[in-house]
Amino acid sequence: MAVSQALVVRKRLVEVDEPWKLDIYENTGGYAAAREVVTTSSPEDTLEEVKASGLRGRGGAGFPTGMKWSFVPKDIFPKYLVINHDEGEPGTFKDREMFELDPHQLLEGMIIAAFAVGASKAFIYCRGEFALGSRRMDQAIRSAYEKGYLGSGIFGSSFDFDVVLHRGAGAYICGEESALLDSLEGHRGQPRLKPPFPAVKGLYGQPTVVNNTETLSTLPHIFNHGIDWFRKWGSEKSPGVKVFSVSGHVNNPGNYEVPLGTKLSDVLELAGGMLDGNAPKAVIPGGISAPLLTITDIAMDFETLQAAGTMLGSGGIVFMDHTTCMVRNALIAAEFYEHESCGKCTPCREGTWWQVKVLERIEHGEGRQEDLDLLLDMCERMDGRCFCPLGDTAAWAVRSNLQLFREDFQAHIDEGRCTYETDHRTLVGARAIGPGDAGVTPQPSEGIGSDSEASS
Amino acid sequence: MSDNDSVTLTINGREVAAEPGRLLIDVAEELGVFVPRFCYHPGMKPVAVCRMCLVQIEGQRKLQPACSTPVADGMVVNTQEAGAVDAQEGMLEFLLINHPLDCPICDRGGECPLQDQTYKHGPGSSRYVEPKRTYEKALEISDLVVLDRERCVLCWRCVRFSDEIAGDAFIQLVDRGPGTQILTFNDEPFDSYFSGNTIQICPVGALTSKPYRFVARPWDLKSAPSVCSYCSVGCPITNESRDEKLVRCQALPNENVNDFWICDKGRFGYHYVDSDERLTAPLERGANDEFQDVSWDHALERVAAKLRDGARVGVIAGGHLTTEDAWAIGKLAKNVIGTRDVDSRVADAGAPYADVMISGLSPAAGSSATINDLATARTIVWMGPDPKEALPVLYLKLRGAVLDHNAKLIVVSPRRLSLDGFATHVVRSEAGGEARAVDELMSSPAADDIGDPMVICWGPSSPGRDDAGVVAALGRLGAARDAKVLMCPPHSGSQGLLDMGVHPSLDAGHETAAEPGRDTRAILQAAADGRLDVLLLFGADVIADFPDADLAGRALGGGAHVVTVELFPTETATRSDVLLPSAAFAEREGTFTNLERRIQKLEPLLEAPGVAREPWRICVALARLLGDDWGWHSFVDVWNDIRSNVRTHTEVDIDALSARGPTPAPQYESGYEKDPSHSGGVVAGPGGQYPKGYRSGTPFQTGQNWPLSWELRGFEARQRPGIVAGTPNGARPSPSGSTTSTGSAAPDGESADGFVLYAGRMIYDEGTMISKSTALRHIARRPFVELNEEDAKELELSEGDEAVVRANGTEARLEVRLADIARGAVFIPYDQKGFRANTLTSAPRVTLARDL
Ligand SMILES: Cc1cc2nc3c(=O)[nH]c(=O)nc-3n(C[C@H](O)[C@H](O)[C@H](O)COP(=O)(O)O)c2cc1C
Ligand code: SF4
Ligand code: SF4
Ligand code: SF4
Ligand code: FES
Repeated sequence: MAVSQALVVRKRLVEVDEPWKLDIYENTGGYAAAREVVTTSSPEDTLEEVKASGLRGRGGAGFPTGMKWSFVPKDIFPKYLVINHDEGEPGTFKDREMFELDPHQLLEGMIIAAFAVGASKAFIYCRGEFALGSRRMDQAIRSAYEKGYLGSGIFGSSFDFDVVLHRGAGAYICGEESALLDSLEGHRGQPRLKPPFPAVKGLYGQPTVVNNTETLSTLPHIFNHGIDWFRKWGSEKSPGVKVFSVSGHVNNPGNYEVPLGTKLSDVLELAGGMLDGNAPKAVIPGGISAPLLTITDIAMDFETLQAAGTMLGSGGIVFMDHTTCMVRNALIAAEFYEHESCGKCTPCREGTWWQVKVLERIEHGEGRQEDLDLLLDMCERMDGRCFCPLGDTAAWAVRSNLQLFREDFQAHIDEGRCTYETDHRTLVGARAIGPGDAGVTPQPSEGIGSDSEASS
Repeated sequence: MSDNDSVTLTINGREVAAEPGRLLIDVAEELGVFVPRFCYHPGMKPVAVCRMCLVQIEGQRKLQPACSTPVADGMVVNTQEAGAVDAQEGMLEFLLINHPLDCPICDRGGECPLQDQTYKHGPGSSRYVEPKRTYEKALEISDLVVLDRERCVLCWRCVRFSDEIAGDAFIQLVDRGPGTQILTFNDEPFDSYFSGNTIQICPVGALTSKPYRFVARPWDLKSAPSVCSYCSVGCPITNESRDEKLVRCQALPNENVNDFWICDKGRFGYHYVDSDERLTAPLERGANDEFQDVSWDHALERVAAKLRDGARVGVIAGGHLTTEDAWAIGKLAKNVIGTRDVDSRVADAGAPYADVMISGLSPAAGSSATINDLATARTIVWMGPDPKEALPVLYLKLRGAVLDHNAKLIVVSPRRLSLDGFATHVVRSEAGGEARAVDELMSSPAADDIGDPMVICWGPSSPGRDDAGVVAALGRLGAARDAKVLMCPPHSGSQGLLDMGVHPSLDAGHETAAEPGRDTRAILQAAADGRLDVLLLFGADVIADFPDADLAGRALGGGAHVVTVELFPTETATRSDVLLPSAAFAEREGTFTNLERRIQKLEPLLEAPGVAREPWRICVALARLLGDDWGWHSFVDVWNDIRSNVRTHTEVDIDALSARGPTPAPQYESGYEKDPSHSGGVVAGPGGQYPKGYRSGTPFQTGQNWPLSWELRGFEARQRPGIVAGTPNGARPSPSGSTTSTGSAAPDGESADGFVLYAGRMIYDEGTMISKSTALRHIARRPFVELNEEDAKELELSEGDEAVVRANGTEARLEVRLADIARGAVFIPYDQKGFRANTLTSAPRVTLARDL
């Protein structure tokens, strides 16, 4: 049986031309949910609805969204809503797509979230590199203001809601919510000591809800169709649908929206299977922070992947076939973490530096036998001891490559060189797809990227 | 078992009760379990970045940083669990992979937390074989501080100090990841008054002191606790010497006074002690007007001869004398010589300290508040000099009170002060109109933030201010409230001199004299008029410091026999007839009484040069020659006399001054009620002579080499708390006890011409001690005059122009600076490069003109 997508947040951008325009958004049911919530519901009921939906954060940690909102103290004002659109996790490009193509969907979700938590101001933290997306969002915000969907007394209610778009400056760590807040405030982007958590003391010391783009883009659909509809997908603990970004050695890399709990093999099938019909050698299931899998017969939901010693993470899936050198794969990951480490804590700052040094030597045929255990030791001494998850996951990435594919490392040491004839173009992320690669992700592509198009 | 005030937890198998909210790292330490650390410092908020302090807590999946984990009831902590031990070793291994092998040439070697903790917890050898990260070494980031980024462990202590404590974030983290480094922003100099603290708290040799670089190895140092000799904050310090030369001063913590900090003047201004210019023997002016060395016997006999037989004598003492000197000087003048013409106000001539008592703000001519009362105050009113310049560490305390303890700070000043940046209200009074501004406070916008308890801070400032009027107004403000006063005289010895009655209308113990004598101005006037036979000057450089240089000069030439006790041949000294060499603070056992009337002890570290003596010993000898043998041979003898004669000091237990406080303290306390040393009572307790971490002899001999003085830990801050002097109970002098003060004249209202003159001290100037301190002497700035923009326009002056400033027939050319200052007022700093402002400050007003 052919596998198919369950299109929810991607539905409009797959099926409709120029979905980023406000009139088109409204013609396809847009802003109905937000209008309804703001004009007829109460913050309490809205929060309860999100809690009951079981929606979990799509930014990486999978924290139940309703529960996060309920931590916000009621009596402290102002409160802020912050959208995490930093999407820096290698292998992940789902937020970018829905943000560029369907910005109003996110704005509508934001209105619902802000209404529920009592925030009258929101900041969208947009990854600096996302030029087109930020232009589209800028335009979307403007047109929403014009229509009275943003600003004071939105939809004719007494609820005021302002949105500010902020572009980051190119740091992966600024996707970590507290570093994001520091960056937004104009400081060095570095994680904050927790507690206090942002919900209690966040932006400018005020209660702040930080949510991922996909998380909030899902909200209008939950309110349009109801909890039962949403819960018909996925499991008790991981209900709903999820967008996965698929890349690597597959025939049709791109974003695919499927019910949580879909088998990894089915996701692979959606992406057209492996290149040249090869078997997958290793799979990154949730962004490179997630330890590798060597099987595809596994349900893609939060709890199953956690039980398998890895994580759903951001939903960035990278398939690798037998042509992939896992030493090089580990090195690429390590270089990424070294480059992106904020430098705040010792084990991450020095550990990533050291990992790269040793992996470079191995890759260049200068590895020593003792380097393998040294690397494992290093990972052991980083894991769980860093200030934030970036350093911990830097350890996981290198460790899982080495533990699962020790023979690749051994071969480098024994032979004094890399034994793969790797086509580097096919490596991690190199075929990651974004809007603009016509014909791969089923959606209209002409005109995307041109300035003049970014208007409603 | 627990209640609201206490939780019970287990650390390494031992149960301990602790106050909720306290940090695990502190509680463990007080139990004797020292958790290794780099970034944690008890004086700053935890950041948990170095990860050195990870410990195992039962029920937690990951190891937790002890430095940022508050204790909780039932917590079971193990610092020696295998994972924790591995983490400690692992963290050191990570820190060392990029650490240079500089130990043999590093100033920190021997007292380095990285070295020490590596010995204790680190790996035996390195598994790192790749090249280390390199940076340009030994960057001079200021005239005082040198940075070596290769040695830095990125603990953020320096950055946090600059940002959190000093509030001048000159030093910053730059770049990210493994390339993260400490630098001054944009390569601008580390231009902070407090920069030296970062050197002291840097746990490696990344920040080093330029004056101390390569001067000594720690094990060659001798050290002794002491008190800074500059301003009246009285920060406790350690003096350290090598080969009988003073080579380093560092902060000693006292949570009541300075927390963990001192200013750069206190830290780097020590070279004067070893200056070649010190007086080493008594000198006498000979027949041909040249000085010649004489013996003490000869010099003292000559002075005594002049003092005998009803001589008319005036006695002036400078502000850097000890409490013991003060008692001896007062006793010599009043009881032996029989003169009441005695004063200790020179730079602060005429300051109405006694009015603080008369106005009812305090039962003494001194503070009724402690420094830490600032932290518990609801409202602080500041009516004094710019504390960042004049009382630097008090500035830090004020900043902390506002930013960390939410006190409301109201600053009343005609010109912008450093406090304005964080003050709750700035009241820009008119030139000479401070008293009125104080009276109008309750009807100003600041009134909403006026609440109790209130601490009123007052310090004398400058000729243009009607300080008597100001104090009276402050008295009216405080009368209606739960208010205390923090009185801020200028120098390290100022308050001790007042306490001991070196004042024309006060006797020791703050008793009002039946018949007041002359104050400094009147004494100098009498000398100038030929109405004095002998002028006795104890550390009083009247020509340099008295606000009327001309009068001081005439006084010295007025025919009186001038006797000067001094460290240096100052201009005043060289115009004297007899010069008697004095010992300096690092050479003496004694006490300073700070601005909150806290008595703290100086221990001698060095021998005084030549035959220089402590001033009180000079008084003892003179008294004996004049027929009064006091029988004092030691510091203890002086104090026995003080205790039995001075009503405010009967309870001072001098043994307790050098003893450690109770160890370990159960918690950090601050504030009036909780402070056991405040009530005039005594902190007694077990323990040795000196705080831990302080060394006498080599660290290896004393066995105190770990942890060394670098880690001035929380509870040690209580170990030499000092004692706050008592107050004259119930003794409230009547306002009739007025003085013959002819001090600063109030501006005479509308009729007067010219600008109201504000003159003030900057932290660095060409004062005697600083100008002999090689590290600081070149930092004094060019002299200038600060002026309101509108006034400048009228005079056709603009920024950077030279203005001719005239007063009482003298004039000076000064660079104009436009400033936030009331119209009709000007500000001139004292003693900046090449210009003694006291040639202009004799009158409350000056005129300004363009230099044509
Ligand atoms: C190193 C690091 C990078 C992260 N990057 C992102 C990111 O790019 N986008 C994102 O939404 N969340 C990211 N997160 C997760 C956020 O901290 C946070 O959990 C999330 O934004 C919460 O939103 P959600 O509950 O809607 O998922 C990152 C976390 C870490 C530790
Ligand atoms: S683990 Fe440490 S150094 Fe790495 S990104 Fe997080 S805080 Fe920064
Ligand atoms: S210079 Fe010293 S105090 Fe500053 S971060 Fe580096 S090691 Fe810490
Ligand atoms: S604040 Fe005053 S007492 Fe403290 S170190 Fe500075 S000059 Fe010395
Ligand atoms: S001392 Fe706790 S992390 Fe640095």
